[in-house]
Amino acid sequence: MTLSRREFIRNLSVAGGGLTLGFSLTATGETAGAASLQPNAFLRITADGDIIVQVHKVEMGQGTVTGLVTLIAEELEVDPGDIRYEMAGVDDAFKDPEYSIQITGGSNSMRVNYLPLRETGAAARMMLMTAASQRSGLPVAQLRCNNGSVQSADGSVSFLYAELASAAGKVDVPEQPRLKSADDFRLIGKHNQRLDNVPKVNGGANFGIDAPLPEPLVAVVVRPPVGRGGMSNYDDSRAKSLPGVHHIVPVDAGVAVVASNYWRARKAAETVTIDWHAGDSALTDSAAIDAALSAALASDKLLSIRDDGEAPAVELHQELDAQYSVPFLAHATMEPMNATVDPNTKEVWVGTQAPDLASSFAALGLDVDAEDVTVHNQFLGGGFGRRAMPDHVLEAAQVARAIGKRVKLVWSREDDTRHDFYRPPMKSRISARLGTNGDVIGWHHRLAGPSLMQSTVDAMAPAIAPGWVPDFLINFGADMAGRKDHSSVEGAKEMPYAFGHVQVAYRNVETPVPLGFWRSVGHSHTAFVVESFVDELAHAAGEDPIAFRRRHLPADSRHRQVLDKVAAMSDWGNPPPGRYQGVAVHESFHSVVAEVVEISMNQGAPKLERAFCAVHCGRAINPDIIRQQMEGGIIFGLCAALKGEITLQDGAVQQGNFHDYPLLRMNETPDVKVAIIDSEDAPTGVGEPGTPPAAPALGNAIFAATGQRLRNLPFRLS
Amino acid sequence: MERVRLSFELNGQQQTLSIENDTPLLWVLRDVLGMNGTKFGCGIGLCGACTVHLDGEAVRSCSLPINAVANRSVTTIEGLSPGSDHPLQVAWIAENVPQCGYCQSGQIMSAAALLANNPAPSDADINTAMSGNLCRCGTYGRIRSAIKRAAVDIWQPEQEQS
Repeated sequence: MTLSRREFIRNLSVAGGGLTLGFSLTATGETAGAASLQPNAFLRITADGDIIVQVHKVEMGQGTVTGLVTLIAEELEVDPGDIRYEMAGVDDAFKDPEYSIQITGGSNSMRVNYLPLRETGAAARMMLMTAASQRSGLPVAQLRCNNGSVQSADGSVSFLYAELASAAGKVDVPEQPRLKSADDFRLIGKHNQRLDNVPKVNGGANFGIDAPLPEPLVAVVVRPPVGRGGMSNYDDSRAKSLPGVHHIVPVDAGVAVVASNYWRARKAAETVTIDWHAGDSALTDSAAIDAALSAALASDKLLSIRDDGEAPAVELHQELDAQYSVPFLAHATMEPMNATVDPNTKEVWVGTQAPDLASSFAALGLDVDAEDVTVHNQFLGGGFGRRAMPDHVLEAAQVARAIGKRVKLVWSREDDTRHDFYRPPMKSRISARLGTNGDVIGWHHRLAGPSLMQSTVDAMAPAIAPGWVPDFLINFGADMAGRKDHSSVEGAKEMPYAFGHVQVAYRNVETPVPLGFWRSVGHSHTAFVVESFVDELAHAAGEDPIAFRRRHLPADSRHRQVLDKVAAMSDWGNPPPGRYQGVAVHESFHSVVAEVVEISMNQGAPKLERAFCAVHCGRAINPDIIRQQMEGGIIFGLCAALKGEITLQDGAVQQGNFHDYPLLRMNETPDVKVAIIDSEDAPTGVGEPGTPPAAPALGNAIFAATGQRLRNLPFRLS
Repeated sequence: MERVRLSFELNGQQQTLSIENDTPLLWVLRDVLGMNGTKFGCGIGLCGACTVHLDGEAVRSCSLPINAVANRSVTTIEGLSPGSDHPLQVAWIAENVPQCGYCQSGQIMSAAALLANNPAPSDADINTAMSGNLCRCGTYGRIRSAIKRAAVDIWQPEQEQS
């Protein structure tokens, strides 16, 4: 982010209220005025000694609570465990500087907040020291902050922050807060314990589904199997008489049955029949979509994304040409979609990645102004991009408005699997020429698939008021309505190898299937194609896959650093007897990750034995959370590679629960070892970058084991 | 379905209620008794997020009709230990297991039933006991480590404290 865009830290302290600091991450919204005094306070220190941090990047497991609190605690010289964290509500100040909406995604939470939150902590530290100087008469130079108090060097003076908070609240905010030297870090790069562990091991953590209800009213929705909406009529005659059923009301998505508990609502819902109509798209079957993607790929209608020019003739060793494909994927968060809405107080309880979109969709459903809606964001039981879409909030708001009471809407697992915003399917055709001199030239990568961004615009359109259009959608609109959709080609366009005359082209194939951001987004398929095909080239060249990659990567590149590290960790080239290795390296969200997957073959099927990972993500803020994210990201990618596939028939998703949309289980999961490359660069992403290399590393291991090159996900050996 | 009046012991306290006899224990816990620590994941016993103990054995409460609970003893995550200090909870924190945390109540309840019956489980024992519990965040490796750590703590508490 550019610092000039960000507003200076402001003193929001009110009389007797201690020290309160706020600022706007974007400085584009309305940030002044009494109304926003408290909500946009990133840091408050009260006269009672409470230190409160607003967590404006939602906690979905990726560790933002711990990371953001650590940044402030480091500069404020307090123990992170002494800080109370609160999930931030909706406020312009919390809008992401890169997306211009209040959203958590793109693995940018540490990257964009690294300086602003440290500066906030540093400003508070300096203001507390000034207050201590005023009270003691000692110059600031003779004072230091330590563990929640300001002390003189000789120990004769010591004030708790609580004692100084109100006086510090009257001190001018330093224009340029002095950040600690990295040499003096106590926490950054060292602190490991997650701050949200305790409530997550004793059942106390509140997720959206745990929202409070003054009166037990739980809603489930009976939906058409096809897409969203499309219901023409319904019959609820049996349901109405069942025990505990309070209301049955139509909503856009179907018919909502409201009962005094989930089971009663679900049982009653099973007796409701609905008439519905399919849309008019011809692309309602997986086979038809597959054929449309193939046709688009073979057409001459692809749009150039990158063109380094036509390759000259070379003495050819071999020319390779292959087709790859990946399917629709569901997110399958462990917590099914849900939202609780109170139509009278206009409050919303939900675990959402996009609180301001949730607010807008709630306002739409309640027919009120978004400014009047209060969002209580909760822990998210998994996000992975799914909870950036607030469709369930709109549903809950419509039910709440219809019945006039606070109601909790809970989706079934089947609702969740069949009405997701799916990772788009994609087909690639890729070719390259391998010269006798060892060079690779004429790397041509063609992709065809539905545009994620176009689908996102459609999904968000109902809540986008005139004059309120998120920047990233404006930018996208300027990108020719999906034809150049960066999210479809990211990772293919920026292919890292020094191959000559790269060409990348893309064709958008519209389908009626809703699409969404799925952990690592476009990288989830482009890394698979690029890193599998590079492996094909290495084998065609008769070279070791890591040596081949190294040879085509810049000498001082992070790609080489992580490859070298993962080669050493995995004892590359010397797997234990009966084990086979595959490697992949990929840059996403400004981080570079290399992975080696080691398998054995068990009755003709690959068994995951071990995975090794080296990550370059700039300065490590919390090393153990980085390891967690790599471990989880790898398992997420391996799960998709071995099992993930959503298919459609007559417009309906054919999978519904974990028996037909299975996830990896403990007995199927490899042991994962992670190494973090030491770096003093600014921190970069970790939530998503672990996922992209996993599928190609596994496919390359399967090739090593069997000689079969599997080019379609999920992998199926013949 | 038939409405029944029944009693059972929940975390050491007697509960008496009147409800349709096919209501799964999960929804009695969550929607009737307001005990939210036990989670809903799939509704058909495939994910383990709803795992509780019935007379000490791990069961999937989403698929257990309340009828089957009458006059028996149920323990949920809230009742596992008074101070969140069951050796498994301590080990879970030490190993930094949770990510989103949603599945962890069920994971811990499955692990607690395992250790109660088998204080020194092998990897295969852990696989057998834990493979019914899904984790979308991929915390399986840490869960395995935490179970082993807790098993050591249970066997050798003095040594661990010294």
